[in-house]
Amino acid sequence: MIKLIFPIRCFTCGKPIGHLWEEFKSRVEKGENPGIVLDELGVKRYCCRRMFLSHVDIAYDVIKVSRKS
Amino acid sequence: MELIVLNKRKDFIELYLSNVPLYIINSIRRIVISEVPSMAISTVIFTLNRSMFYDEYIAHRLGLVPLTSEPALSKYKPPEECSESEEASLFPPDCFVKLDLDASNNGEGLLTIYSKDLKSSDPEVKPVYDDIPILILGGGHKVKLEAYARLGRGREHYKWSPASAAVIKYIPEVFIDRSRCLPECRKCIEVCPRNVFKATDSGVEVSEAAIINCNLCHLCEKVCPSEAVMLKTRENEYILRIESTGSLSPKRILLESIKILEGKVSELSRKLEVQGVLK
Ligand SMILES: [Zn+2]
Repeated sequence: MIKLIFPIRCFTCGKPIGHLWEEFKSRVEKGENPGIVLDELGVKRYCCRRMFLSHVDIAYDVIKVSRKS
Repeated sequence: MELIVLNKRKDFIELYLSNVPLYIINSIRRIVISEVPSMAISTVIFTLNRSMFYDEYIAHRLGLVPLTSEPALSKYKPPEECSESEEASLFPPDCFVKLDLDASNNGEGLLTIYSKDLKSSDPEVKPVYDDIPILILGGGHKVKLEAYARLGRGREHYKWSPASAAVIKYIPEVFIDRSRCLPECRKCIEVCPRNVFKATDSGVEVSEAAIINCNLCHLCEKVCPSEAVMLKTRENEYILRIESTGSLSPKRILLESIKILEGKVSELSRKLEVQGVLK
């Protein structure tokens, strides 16, 4: 349950990364190389990079089975 | 003492220091991480939560949002005074900033709530980044909460630390023993992850521009068949790197850390005087 939505900070170093997720996701979906996108977003350390590369947006699946109001 | 600013950006500073003992720089580094105060949400009161997330999950996410705290440092009371009134469930305005979130999704699709949707009672204390996704609301979901932010220190919780990285780097020096270096051997070039070495006609040379990237892994020493490479670090020369979360500027973080260190030392000497140790 911990990574339902993309985390606001890197688990290891605490760098704020939440605001970069939507740009990363849309650019990678358009076919760009994830490594180059992360370089351009200024995410340098490998602890922060794995946060992006390993994330799966489960929230969008779970929300379908959550109760309505 | 020599100080050179190697690199300075909005959220990052890199300093070269020489003739300063390591323990001085290290005490500054540790104060940057655990003592310099900044603003973060510490209490969240839910009036309504009809989203798919637990209260605790939302509260934890809100706490991690970095808040601008530069003017707040002088405006609000220090963390020690505020945590007492927080335990008594009191939120005095000279300690706490109130951030309101009132969001509902009346449509059928999904609605993402961002950090910019938090309504702050103090315009000088607001999320540093506007588009951090905080929650996702499905059709008919509703959330209403009030969050209270106060000054705190990193030793209490890491969310209050103004720096996401504070690092001291040693300055590497590579020596190649010309008499032992084998001219056809290229092993150190192949193995170095930071490309510190370059090939020349007579053997191997250290590239002056790349030496600063050396991460002191000592692979070049281990792989050399004739023990010609020697890696050392310079005495009393260091690089201090501070990466800010955005709540305070790197300059302010450094200044505050020095102020706190001074305060601690002068308090110690005052205590010694009171106890009569210095007589
Ligand atoms: Zn990280």
